[in-house]
Amino acid sequence: MAKSDNYLSSNIRGAIGAAELVLINGRIYTVDDQQPWAEAVAIKHGRFVAVGDYNSVAPFIGEQTRVLDLKGRFAMPGLYDMHTHPDLALAPGYSGDLAIGLNDPTPEQVKQSVLDYAAANPGDGWVYGQYFVRYTFKQAGLVADREWLDSFMPDRPVAILDRSWGCMMVNSKALELAGIDADTMDPRHGYIERDSITGEPTGILVDGAYALIHAAMPPTPQHALKRAYREGVQFQSGHGVVGTKYVHVCEHRLNALKSIDQAGELTVRVEAAISWQDDIFPVKRRWELLAGERHFYRSARLNANAVKFHFDGTHESRSSYLSSAWPGESSWRGHLNLTPEHISDMVVDMDRKGVRVIAHCTGDGASDLFLDAVAEARRRNGDSGVRHQCAHSTTLLDANLPRFAELQVTAEFSPVGWFPSSFANARAVFGEDRMQRAYNFKGVLEAGGVAVMGTDWPVSSINPWIGFEAMITRENPFGDVEGCFYGNPITLEQAIRVMTINGAWCMGIDDKAGSIEVGKSADLIVLDRDLFAQSPKGNIHNTQVQLTLLEGEVMWDRQGEFVDTDHAAIWQGELPNF
Amino acid sequence: MNRRPSIPVTIVSGFLGAGKTTLLNRILNSDHGLRMAVMVNDFGAINIDSQLIVSQTQTTVSLTNGCICCTVESDLIEQLSRMLESRENRPEYIVIEASGVSNPQKIANTLRYPQFRNALNIDSIVTVVDAAQFDGLKGEMAQLAMDQLDAADIIVLNKIDQVSDEQVAALRARWLYPNVRLLQAQHCEVPLELILGVGRLSSGPKLKPVTTASVLGAVPEPDHSSVFATWSWRCDQPLSLKALRQALAALPANIYRAKGICNIAEAPRQRSVLHLVGSRSEINLAEDWHDAKPYSQLIVIGTHDAINPANLQAAFEKCIA
Repeated sequence: MAKSDNYLSSNIRGAIGAAELVLINGRIYTVDDQQPWAEAVAIKHGRFVAVGDYNSVAPFIGEQTRVLDLKGRFAMPGLYDMHTHPDLALAPGYSGDLAIGLNDPTPEQVKQSVLDYAAANPGDGWVYGQYFVRYTFKQAGLVADREWLDSFMPDRPVAILDRSWGCMMVNSKALELAGIDADTMDPRHGYIERDSITGEPTGILVDGAYALIHAAMPPTPQHALKRAYREGVQFQSGHGVVGTKYVHVCEHRLNALKSIDQAGELTVRVEAAISWQDDIFPVKRRWELLAGERHFYRSARLNANAVKFHFDGTHESRSSYLSSAWPGESSWRGHLNLTPEHISDMVVDMDRKGVRVIAHCTGDGASDLFLDAVAEARRRNGDSGVRHQCAHSTTLLDANLPRFAELQVTAEFSPVGWFPSSFANARAVFGEDRMQRAYNFKGVLEAGGVAVMGTDWPVSSINPWIGFEAMITRENPFGDVEGCFYGNPITLEQAIRVMTINGAWCMGIDDKAGSIEVGKSADLIVLDRDLFAQSPKGNIHNTQVQLTLLEGEVMWDRQGEFVDTDHAAIWQGELPNF
Repeated sequence: MNRRPSIPVTIVSGFLGAGKTTLLNRILNSDHGLRMAVMVNDFGAINIDSQLIVSQTQTTVSLTNGCICCTVESDLIEQLSRMLESRENRPEYIVIEASGVSNPQKIANTLRYPQFRNALNIDSIVTVVDAAQFDGLKGEMAQLAMDQLDAADIIVLNKIDQVSDEQVAALRARWLYPNVRLLQAQHCEVPLELILGVGRLSSGPKLKPVTTASVLGAVPEPDHSSVFATWSWRCDQPLSLKALRQALAALPANIYRAKGICNIAEAPRQRSVLHLVGSRSEINLAEDWHDAKPYSQLIVIGTHDAINPANLQAAFEKCIA
């Protein structure tokens, strides 16, 4: 196969050996230690065939070759956002659910909206949406419950959220379809409101009990998921991202991604991680997907060879699992959602299948156990070549820093909270000692490991340039809040590696992508500024990406430089504004 | 299974400046006789006599009377779990201050989660309203006000001295609902026996459904200085659940509390425990009667004019199944 790589059939257009696209007069930072800077690149069949000065690309310029003069502009490899969620951020708003849309709707107005929605969406499908206001029921002397809904909509399932999302009101049909009756167990973080004597559900469901209804409802519609992902990749391409991970998918989400891929609009390489738990949405085909159905989705741009699970909790709720007690506590260390034994068996099993395990570990105790599980997988399976990923890594034990390199595990840092802001300060709850080591890019890198960044949108912005700047400054990019955040900054060169080649490593493609080298995938971005020319603070986060190339194809063309050519971009002009 | 008695909880909500802290200070400094945990949003505003402080950390103050005052953490679930697990300091009563910008219903919902509902019971939800500021609320603040009023069992209309009767009438017309339980006050000077359901301040009998002893024996000596009167009723015939619920919903608005044990026709084998605070009433199943002869025994607390024995007697006798 290797020898036939360069074989070119004579019945193709253009001179044999000529490049399709050549970029000249650039200030190109390659992330290749052998040749850190270049002026020109030649691209053929999606790969770099020459990188260097004009003389090195000149032989590849043929009659059909498109030559773009960068006029001194700065270029670098494309970026990698290794943890984000466009579906969770956008799809709920695109679902076409009932939106009553009135201020303080009265019960009468809620009723009318439900009836109107049902009339406009005939059939026996769900009437699901928001919102009602319990207070207006109280004012009207009514009780918001299933009897009230049944009084005008007995035959079709109805579920309406309370305005403050304190509860959901459902009718008897919805309860029936969801299988909720007097004998149904309450979920842990929520409950089914019941008649205190008969135990019959009243039709009010609280918090965790929504999931019982969601499980009975059709999944988020394909059109909403497709629109969410399509806008997500458009935004990401427009910001220079060439590789990303959508961490949490189900069969419906994979179907949406596949249809975008088949339409040629998946302009970012996407690794989709199948949810191990049902805590965000139900995954009905989890075991089929993991057993092999995932391969059905595979293309050059899309893979589902990863699984994501929530190992511990969050900082805000003090449920991150720490290696010692939380500040101010005698024994409370946080919470693990799954036993260490479960994780160990699961990592060994997934590793053997070639599935990457992405573990949500915010506390240093959770990541410690996760690394133990990977060690067990290495011991039992040998080197499978699968690089597992420790997600968030908000606080890590110093003793574990070398293990990322030893065990070939990626330390992913997300969400972008390593600069002073009300968001970050609210999460700075691990105590002075642990916070000094928070988001320890530097520690992982200096111990020889691979660190990457994830935006974790909608937890923080999906714009990758914000975290990129702040990992170098640890200061607020917008100047909103003064001072430096906890932890150690890294250099611009280190940050560029974090954003490029390290991402490629984390996706298992660093031999094919992530830097500008001959033979590698022609992924390159052209910026409106030279990152080395100015102080990073207040600068990098404002970067505008003018061109994004993925596999030699122009994905994003801000200024229309390739309009009406064979290289016309998939996206140009306006980006969605999130 | 942990059979320790369930801890009553009072939730105090209201906007910043409405007078919640005044009320919390009054609760902390009152002679309630309980090992109480008072969970507040801002320590700084709480007024604790330094001579009463046994120890203090960044988030907790321990007092000589056995009470603790601590800050509410962002995750109440974890905080309450830890409090319940505590061996030495398990409180006998919990007061939670809802943040001025939060919906107290969310706290109430949390307390009813399966992991808490046997360990904690909501005694009362009190919303403090600034009579002078309230009517001008708009937008999101008005929505939040609705949530706070909706969740309330009892509404304290505070700073009543700063408004005219017309303003009070307008406020009632716009904001309140049928059957609302309203206490008008200055400086949150409301009878704490209406806010806290047990302890020395309790105006009713201590209810111990575990024992079969007559609850009548536990009725304290009537306190004639109180503006509140009590009325009690006993009945040996079973009561209709639906009729009892209707009777409770129709009680006069200045009846603030009722409690008792009921013999409900629909659940003949078990005691049912009745708990009414303000506009909310609950009837919950408790222990089996076993060999005891079923009965119903209620005590009702309200203002003197609301306690009309003839009317109350008639209302409850209609509940006989």
